[in-house]
Amino acid sequence: MTAPNTTEAFVHPALFYRGEQEYLDGTVPFIREGLKSGEPVAVAVPGPNLAVLKEGLGADAAAVRFLDMAQAGRNPGRIIPTVLRAFADAHTGTRVRIIGEPIWAGRSSVEYPACVQHEALINPAFQGRDVTILCPYDAARLDERVLTDAYATHPVVVLGGKERLSPSYAPERIVARYNQPLAAPPAVAETMIYGAEELPAARHFAVERASRLGLSGASLDDLALAVAELTTNSVVHGGGSGVLRIWAEDSQVVCEVRDRGHLSDPLAGRRPPARDQRGGRGLLLVHHVSDLVRIHSRAEGTVIRFYLSGKPSGPA
Amino acid sequence: MRSRQPTGVTDMDEAQEADASAPFSTPSTGVLRVRPLPDRPGWRAVGEINLITRPAWEKTLRQLTVIDEKVCHLELSAVTFVDVGGASVLAAAAQGLPAGRRIMLHQPPAALGRLLDMFWPDLPAIEVVTR
Repeated sequence: MTAPNTTEAFVHPALFYRGEQEYLDGTVPFIREGLKSGEPVAVAVPGPNLAVLKEGLGADAAAVRFLDMAQAGRNPGRIIPTVLRAFADAHTGTRVRIIGEPIWAGRSSVEYPACVQHEALINPAFQGRDVTILCPYDAARLDERVLTDAYATHPVVVLGGKERLSPSYAPERIVARYNQPLAAPPAVAETMIYGAEELPAARHFAVERASRLGLSGASLDDLALAVAELTTNSVVHGGGSGVLRIWAEDSQVVCEVRDRGHLSDPLAGRRPPARDQRGGRGLLLVHHVSDLVRIHSRAEGTVIRFYLSGKPSGPA
Repeated sequence: MRSRQPTGVTDMDEAQEADASAPFSTPSTGVLRVRPLPDRPGWRAVGEINLITRPAWEKTLRQLTVIDEKVCHLELSAVTFVDVGGASVLAAAAQGLPAGRRIMLHQPPAALGRLLDMFWPDLPAIEVVTR
């Protein structure tokens, strides 16, 4: 695959496929081309497609790094730091190729805004980097709206084997459009107001309620860490206090922090920090441990909601 | 659930009894007490490491980095929680140690182990002893 814009090192095409054959036609030559030119190649796609690709690649599969995106990328907010940048940063000094499929037909309507924002944010996150990230979209099973959004989040779209520039590429518009108010918390949500003095109490409150809602073991540790980071952020950056809410939604525990801060950097929490960097890991931690993170931020205040399930989900 | 105890109290009192776990068996309230170990170079910390107690934790780590010992011990079995900021200053202290020196963490809370694995895997200057 060649870069249509020769001034930009980063190449980010969407591949619209219908059926297994189109999937293989769009991905296997892309992988083999990369391997032939000595580029490290990673494939992060949901399990069933992973199996299709491994079989399609035959012996070449041995040279490819495979990740199940349904696990590693369950929370789309951690795909940039823990999947894409993790692979690219481990191979600096050479162009790398990645196939990343973060959106599949089973994604829920609660997950989707975070998924499409992730796709949009790949562009600023990798601007100027010698990286190609090909994103397959199951055109036979995904909604029309998802495919329309893919034109806005990818500068190039591959359709029926033909590559063309997207006429509607506008990733920053997608980030803004999906920065929407979140659905109101249910009436049963338990609430606590906290300031600096209540940081430990807020954490104990959340852990105690989450335990009653069914979380246990390492998930409770993860919840404690995430609540500590978000409530600390409120105290330091969010006006000094905030409101914590917690409730159950289907099989997940949902925890929400609301404060007067404004998260103006859409890539906050998605940049892997340098080893010796002191701050900047709070939101990253929340993305790491959660199944999903939803954010609504504007000048008047920010709501961050994270979802945890009893099963371990973090990549670390 | 609200804490009514003063937060951020640091107690560097060397005369305190070695086993001070009893007063802290209730959920932590944002206090961190630190004192030297009686038998090895290093400190025993009791309480939790969070935004409020971080300055005390940093002070301990600064002292730890300047003492001239190959191995420094941090006894953390009575530390109930460490946040990302607390783990960050520990990692920074370990990264700032001269080659060959290291910090041994004794029975750190699960949260600290998880954070070190997540953000600082393979820090040669930190050794974790779980028992």
